[in-house]
Amino acid sequence: MTTTLRTPPTPSSPSSPSTDAEAPGRTGTRSAWALVARREVVVKLTDRSFVIGTVVTLVLIAGFMGWQAWDSGRTSTYTVAATASDRPMADRLAKDARGVDDTVAVEVDDVADAGAARALLTEGDADAWLHRDGGTWVLTTDSKEESSLTRVTQEVVRQAALEQQASDLGTTAEQLQAGSTVRTSLLTGDAEKAGLASGVAFAFAFLFYIATLTFGITLANSVVEEKQSRIVEIIATSIPVRQLLVGKIVGNSALAIAQMVLYAGVGMVGLSLTPYSSYVTAVSGPVVWFLVFFVAGFVALAALWAVAGALASRTEEVQSTATPMTMLVMAVFFGSLFLDGAAKVVLSYVPPFSAVLMPTRLLEGTAQWWEAVVALAVLLATAGLVVRVAERLYRRSLLQTGGKLSMRQAWSAPE
Amino acid sequence: MLEITDLTRRFGDVTAVDGVSFDVRGGLLTGFVGGNGAGKTTTMRMVMGVLGIDGGAVHWNGRPVTPRDQRGFGYMPEERGLYPKQRVIDQLVYLAQLKGMTAAAARAAAEEHLERFGLAERATARLQELSLGNQQRVQVVAALLHRPSALVLDEPFSGLDPTAVDSMADLLREHASTGVPVLFSSHQLDLVEKLCDRLVILSRGRVVAVGDADELRSRGPVRFRVTLDRDAGWVREVRGIHVVDVDGPSALVEVLEEGAEQAVLREAAERGTVREFTPVRPALADIYREVAA
Repeated sequence: MTTTLRTPPTPSSPSSPSTDAEAPGRTGTRSAWALVARREVVVKLTDRSFVIGTVVTLVLIAGFMGWQAWDSGRTSTYTVAATASDRPMADRLAKDARGVDDTVAVEVDDVADAGAARALLTEGDADAWLHRDGGTWVLTTDSKEESSLTRVTQEVVRQAALEQQASDLGTTAEQLQAGSTVRTSLLTGDAEKAGLASGVAFAFAFLFYIATLTFGITLANSVVEEKQSRIVEIIATSIPVRQLLVGKIVGNSALAIAQMVLYAGVGMVGLSLTPYSSYVTAVSGPVVWFLVFFVAGFVALAALWAVAGALASRTEEVQSTATPMTMLVMAVFFGSLFLDGAAKVVLSYVPPFSAVLMPTRLLEGTAQWWEAVVALAVLLATAGLVVRVAERLYRRSLLQTGGKLSMRQAWSAPE
Repeated sequence: MLEITDLTRRFGDVTAVDGVSFDVRGGLLTGFVGGNGAGKTTTMRMVMGVLGIDGGAVHWNGRPVTPRDQRGFGYMPEERGLYPKQRVIDQLVYLAQLKGMTAAAARAAAEEHLERFGLAERATARLQELSLGNQQRVQVVAALLHRPSALVLDEPFSGLDPTAVDSMADLLREHASTGVPVLFSSHQLDLVEKLCDRLVILSRGRVVAVGDADELRSRGPVRFRVTLDRDAGWVREVRGIHVVDVDGPSALVEVLEEGAEQAVLREAAERGTVREFTPVRPALADIYREVAA
């Protein structure tokens, strides 16, 4: 108890002029948001459950992609038993199988009669027995149907029969089939792109939903935690409340975006290892749009999540003060799945739906670049407005501790 | 100097703080005393700027207080709370940085203060792993770390053991001795009496007494104890006094008319040997009960 106290620093001494210049060794409040943001990030990164959750998700994504790559590149070789009389068709099956499905290979095993064939099947030495029953080809398996082999066999037998009948009629299989095929065509875009678009759009809508929900709840909880412990009173006397709000939004947005980029990155690397690798380039352009809209949409929603936290007085109340936010986030997600036609076009300009719908339309090729710019401008303006409104609600509800507040109460609460 | 002038705050129909005026002078420890709901916390929150002011003003060194001034103050809110899951040293550094200290200076100051409170080896523990008393000490350190230009502490002694009370008192005296105004509230009147240079007594939102302990005591009733070698029942006959208590040869009397105690003394000397004749200083608790009643 003998430590001597240094003279207190001078910022508030009578002689200090009331300008923005700070005393040496002291920093101003203008960059305080960075301190707040850094704390939010550090706390989260040292939170074991957050780190474990992220790693597990990454492993799941990588594992799924890896399985896809392995499974799609795998060739299954089937042993098909056939008696001498059925051998020509079995040989044709062995020859043409690859042409029908490149993951299916067929080896033929000669058998003396039906009894021998059945014995092979039962012992598991053959996968199927190809034989004729009257005018019909039969593919007999032991206890479960081999769907790939069945599909290939059907195709090969159909083609063989067609050729035989064409030759009987004095014509060719090609002539017989002329004019019988239907090709699909889309006015806008192409089929493969549309399928890809809906897949990628779903993936991003889902990521946006998960990110806004998990980080939103995290943000609301970190706000109410400070409010409940009254540490917010110490913080509010140290820095402007706006700095606290901005720091929290920036910190949590950075975390959310970093996590999304990580997930999407691992997903893309995984995609490049699968037979769908050609899609990587097709997807990477729209991904940039998605990220831009993601950031703007996330910031707008994050400000509202902070308000949801500030309206509660205790952690247990967050669930009810955050209900409108949960509904909104779910509406955005399901809207992106089910909306179509004019509703989709209109809502692709309306925040926060535009955060997911506009990049989806870009990906589908149904929106022009200038439409994206307009939607982005509207979204950014809304985000700015929401942050301002949220600041007022946040500031006024932050220091009210008598139970839950409604938005209306918070708006008109005295400071 | 911190001047509080006519400060008023209403919550709905209730006036929690009603025209409160007092000052907290540099270099002095000012104790803020009052029952539950007297308005101490509300007043302190208005001084710190975390609660809006309905009327009146707070001045710092002669001009209206600004958020910049308040940033330099050290504040300990009524309900304790830091971040339960964060490490002690980390949150102290963070809070000091918010106050404008550089990270290095904040860390050095935090280590020095933790050392002082015997918490050096708990610096990297999470706050929730500490005992409640030690959490309280960390809270105190958080308020003092940035060498505040003024201290506003709401019940800084509650929850501290006697050793911690002593080191806390030393710390407050040290800060005051550097010229810093210190305002703290407390329920522990004996402590306030021992420690404070000045007292502000609040009751139902109003200041009922301000002054140093002696000044306040002098406002209380003047009492004398007289002890004889025989029964003192006769004091009941003396005019100008009120007999508080008679117990065999000893009596406690309250002087109603100036000089009446001299009559008691003369009479006592005439009747026999006077063993004791002393003025009785009222305890601060008595004064408090009287003014706050």
